[in-house]
Amino acid sequence: MKISPATWFGVVAVGAFAIAGSFMGSYPIYLLSLAMINIISALGLNLLTGNSGQISLCHSSFMALGAYVSALLTSMLGLPFWVAIPCAVLIAACLGTLLSLPTRRLRGIYLALATLGFLQLVQITLEEMSELTGGVRGLKVPQPTVFEGQPLNYYSIYLVVLVVCGLSILVTRNLLASRIGRELNAVRTSPHASQALGVSVDRVKLIAFALAAGYAGLAGGLLAVVVGFIDPNEFGVSAALKQITFIVVGGLGSVMGSVLGATVLSALPELLRPVKEYSDVIYALILLGFLIFVPRGLAASLEHFVMSPIRKRVGRKTLS
Amino acid sequence: MTLARLTLEKIAVRFGGLIAVRDLSLSLAPGEIRGLIGPNGAGKTTAVNAISGVVPIEQGRIFLDGDDVSGLAPHELSRKGIARTFQHVEAFGDMTVLENVMIGVARHAPVSLWSAAVGTPFARRTELAYRKDALDILKLFELEGYQDTVASELPFGLLKRMDLARALASRPKILLLDEPTSGMSESEADSAIQAVRRLAEQFSMTLLVIEHNMRVMMALADVVTVMQQGAVIAEGTPHEIQNDPVVIAAYLGDEDADA
Repeated sequence: MKISPATWFGVVAVGAFAIAGSFMGSYPIYLLSLAMINIISALGLNLLTGNSGQISLCHSSFMALGAYVSALLTSMLGLPFWVAIPCAVLIAACLGTLLSLPTRRLRGIYLALATLGFLQLVQITLEEMSELTGGVRGLKVPQPTVFEGQPLNYYSIYLVVLVVCGLSILVTRNLLASRIGRELNAVRTSPHASQALGVSVDRVKLIAFALAAGYAGLAGGLLAVVVGFIDPNEFGVSAALKQITFIVVGGLGSVMGSVLGATVLSALPELLRPVKEYSDVIYALILLGFLIFVPRGLAASLEHFVMSPIRKRVGRKTLS
Repeated sequence: MTLARLTLEKIAVRFGGLIAVRDLSLSLAPGEIRGLIGPNGAGKTTAVNAISGVVPIEQGRIFLDGDDVSGLAPHELSRKGIARTFQHVEAFGDMTVLENVMIGVARHAPVSLWSAAVGTPFARRTELAYRKDALDILKLFELEGYQDTVASELPFGLLKRMDLARALASRPKILLLDEPTSGMSESEADSAIQAVRRLAEQFSMTLLVIEHNMRVMMALADVVTVMQQGAVIAEGTPHEIQNDPVVIAAYLGDEDADA
């Protein structure tokens, strides 16, 4: 089997992060884990919004579903986290499918509003079903264990998140390089031409929603394990908007965009810590700056200023 | 008598109070090249949209090789062998020419989502097969030099050619062409017509062509159908149509109305 240079790069990067993590304290590792969870959720949202062109303002709700379902499966049924999280992913994907059934005919702002309504519905449900979810007081997540053994320490959890994040990137790349990936983009750019060429627009939009919800569920399940505590606030409108900014700043429709956007914007609040009082202002300014000066996102800039010159130089060397 | 490839049986399309197509009946023999002309607003494009399933028909039925296909969704009709191009090319702008054509390529065995996600050997093989089919089509249209060009960067003439290549990639039984030569120079139009004729023969395709340019129509069509205000007013060889007083009146009347 042939393995592409990008895949090799990914394997090396995962290895490097694994080694680097072993020298780090718990707080940097915690931040890195959160950044990777953000990457996973951004990958899903980008498939939905960047590729299939459906604006969703309820991505954080599917994260909430993933987090609560996996936490409850662990605490109530005693399932280990590596069973509970996949179950949560499946349930999130099913709910994504159900949500898409009535909303896939909606376009642009109407879909955004419908998904916003869904977000509120999930928020209220989480708050009201307090016997199950702990309501606004939140829910403590049991510590993850493997085969009834000792609870995993923070470094092991970090390794799990790291590997899952790496695999998510690989899977997304594979999907986008396949027929379904092309169909996602085709449906966004011209639904008319797509259906005339035999693409079922409804089916493709449904798949996009199911995939996005699945990624979000995965991110939510991991978040619950990493943080150890979840409450509805974490998955509200501001979280949904933050996820939109990840993919806009990173680059719509691009895997690299999801990775860069989620990484940079996860790091930003930490970098702004010395000027804490102004951090919200600076964050907003940076965001505006990106929208105005780098509208196609970080990924496009990286491609233009770094990757394509390198490729040209390498190409020339191999030619001469 | 041979079975007709496509039959429209008294179809009607209505947009609110406007009847865009009324009692339209057509029968196309396999391999036939049929022209569809008429003044602006005659319902030509609506007829094509109805056949390709984009607009619903209110009355009547549509048969493909004797099967009733009325009411099927556009993608189902496409998979049954009805392909079309668009008056204003609907390119997938940020995809390459090759990817545009790959969307059109007739389906191989379906690759499951899991298989695609994992990148199994089966998924890779299928992907290569799609690529090869698309490249073959590009060669046929002398577009192989543009395979990696992003479609939005293509000049209009080439875009039209790509649109045609994309539609043909599915190996359709019937190809509906909505003004294939609009926006082309006379020489471009001539070579496009040559290509279309050759392909129709090569793939034994039935063509339904909307075209304003009578010169093109004379060179291409076996039979020409004339529509006015949603209904057929004449049908015959291009030569007959050109000298039909009813047709001439329809066009002149239309021009009078415009003036």
